[in-house]
Amino acid sequence: MTGSRKIIRTIIHHLILAILAVVWLVPIFWLVVTSFSGYDGMNTSRFFPATWSIRNYSRILFESDTVSQFPVWFKNTLIIAIFVCLISTCFVLMIAYVMSCMRFKGRKALMNIAVMLQLFPGFLSMIAIYFILKSINLTNSHIGMIFVYSGGAGLGYLVAKGFFDTIPTSLREAAYLEGASEARTFLTIVLPLSRPIIVYTVISSFLVPWTDFVFAKIILNSGISTDWTVAIGLYNMLNRTLIPTYFSRFCAGGVLVGIPIGILFVIMQKFYVEGITGGSVKG
Amino acid sequence: MGIGMSEAKTKKENNPVAAFFGAIGNFFREFGEAVANGDGAVKASLIVMGAGYWKRKQIVKGFLVTLLEIAVILYNVLIGFPYIGQLGHLGTVEQAMIYNPETMKNEVNDYDNSLLILLFGVISLCVFVVAILLWMANVRNTYHLQKKAAAGKHINTFKEDLNSMINEKFHFTLLALPVLGIIVFNVMPLIVMICVAFTNYDQNHMPPAALFTWVGINNFKTLFTTSITATFGYTFWKILGWTLLWAVLATATTYIGGIILSLIINSKTTKLKKMWRTLFVASISVPQFVSLLLLRNFFANNGIANTFCSSIGLTDLLKNLGWITTEYIPFLTDPVWAKITIVVINIWVGVPYLMLIATGVLINIPEELKESAKIDGANAFQIFRKITMPYMLFITGPYLVTQFTANINNFNVIYLLTQDIYTTTNQKLAASQGKEIDLLVTWLYRLTSEQYNYKMAAVIGICVFVVCALVTLFAFNFLIKGDKEDTFR
Repeated sequence: MTGSRKIIRTIIHHLILAILAVVWLVPIFWLVVTSFSGYDGMNTSRFFPATWSIRNYSRILFESDTVSQFPVWFKNTLIIAIFVCLISTCFVLMIAYVMSCMRFKGRKALMNIAVMLQLFPGFLSMIAIYFILKSINLTNSHIGMIFVYSGGAGLGYLVAKGFFDTIPTSLREAAYLEGASEARTFLTIVLPLSRPIIVYTVISSFLVPWTDFVFAKIILNSGISTDWTVAIGLYNMLNRTLIPTYFSRFCAGGVLVGIPIGILFVIMQKFYVEGITGGSVKG
Repeated sequence: MGIGMSEAKTKKENNPVAAFFGAIGNFFREFGEAVANGDGAVKASLIVMGAGYWKRKQIVKGFLVTLLEIAVILYNVLIGFPYIGQLGHLGTVEQAMIYNPETMKNEVNDYDNSLLILLFGVISLCVFVVAILLWMANVRNTYHLQKKAAAGKHINTFKEDLNSMINEKFHFTLLALPVLGIIVFNVMPLIVMICVAFTNYDQNHMPPAALFTWVGINNFKTLFTTSITATFGYTFWKILGWTLLWAVLATATTYIGGIILSLIINSKTTKLKKMWRTLFVASISVPQFVSLLLLRNFFANNGIANTFCSSIGLTDLLKNLGWITTEYIPFLTDPVWAKITIVVINIWVGVPYLMLIATGVLINIPEELKESAKIDGANAFQIFRKITMPYMLFITGPYLVTQFTANINNFNVIYLLTQDIYTTTNQKLAASQGKEIDLLVTWLYRLTSEQYNYKMAAVIGICVFVVCALVTLFAFNFLIKGDKEDTFR
């Protein structure tokens, strides 16, 4: 291959990447510019707004009305997310450790049952959960949402198990030989080595309440906007009757939740790849 | 690694189903043996569960077990049995207003709530079965203690028992809470909803105002029959067909797209690899409900995409070709256009994920494999076909299968893009609340949230499970074979 052909190939290469990147970023870009637009509804005739302002942000943050309660939603979601994150992370790490590092009767059977349970669509059980929570008066409450998101969280243990599988058995055996109990081994040998997977589990379970709107919509069905999470609140703004007045505020809200979630997501993606590929490589 | 291999072998040698039933048989045999050969204390623990422990000086344990027994008996007598008793008919007394001579007012009678009976009946039944099993296991354990004592072996003190919970029995300690969570929030609700599939729970039979009851497999018959009044059969096959086509298209396009993108980004000539990767990740880091709702408005009939298309003359061109009959391109409102748009938008959503995973795999490919192929005279394309691709398929195979079932259940993309926008003109589909672009799960959701048709939703849920289970079983038995494990090590 001659030098000039190589240069041309490199340029084409980067040109393709640049075009693709633009295509992928157009919607995000549109979100940001619309959030700074000077009017309420959607701009259908041009990409960039004709007038610019930061009024959408000031209104969504400081001027709440019956439809828009962004600060309350944010607080609700944050409270739920913190508890979900704590409970889910514990559950996931506990099950993952047991399935990866301990050997006992019925281990394989439990893992097969877990696979089977996940083949059922999530809403199916959510309908019954709604009625169970309703009969003990926990619908439309933070506690109910925390239960819904973290109760069955243990089922998502596979990625963490894949990680624990890569920790050499010899480390644990050395600990046993020195008289450490199984619990001590878990807490002082295995967990400190698992920082990446702990970060991954913490972030991914923290993100669940921010990104889910289906389960929240089923459980938080009172219609009172101060009960809602960010996801249902923003979703509601795009109601056919509300969209002309709230579209650009929706965009502002989207940017406001999108930035922290985006940052967490970018941190997480590194561990996401390690979890999915690392586990299966070293089995 | 060694452990995984040996496990795979033992699994092949003894059938897991046979092993499962063998274990159950063993359990019952040991229980019988304990009842037959146990001494007085063991026999007494048939009634008072702690008796066997007290005899062997395990005072605290015996006390705790007896306390649990009392609690379970109280629960069952007070709450459990009344519900279980009504499970057979799910309630007989319908809600009505009855004149109360004492207060001189019409009052609501003491009615039955079928849903509560079903919910708590199933829960109580589970509690009851588990209690019986624990009771049997308890008798067996006391018999083990008797044998231990007879052989002169050491019997654990309470402290030693506690100690074993953080040692050889640590898995009980760790699993207890998470598994309880899964049982309460996953298994129980599933059992209840599977039961609902065999009842007539719908908008005409809504507790508390009305009762519902068992109807056998009628709902399944409804799902598979088509008549003038009931079009569920027609809708089901149509939606199932699109669901499977969608799952294939969505999985294949994102997989291929992701690999191509990662090959471009990771090729030796690309500069600033990390920046490119972050750019693509940025697009998926915004929550889906924001980005997809945005795209829905972007591609609306009067949306910005249509303005753009008509200003560059694309709309007129398509109209002249006869592909569209409207003044706009019906990106999300015409059955065919909507399906294409959804698949394309899904590529936008899914490719960055696959790019990340493919990048992880590409980096892990052993460099020696490629080097030796190069020495043997293979060109870049041959290396890709013979080494990169098989390696990629081997590592991501299981992920591909989960991705396929996840796409069958891909609620977000379809629902967020089409809800409130797409209306069907097909009367047959509309009669059973289906739409051309619905997946089984979105149809299920719409049936419950708009029609309260829980019975059919439950039936559809079971069908989704069957489809996913068949796909998974097929894939793992025929496509991903265990003996490939060492190919790349």
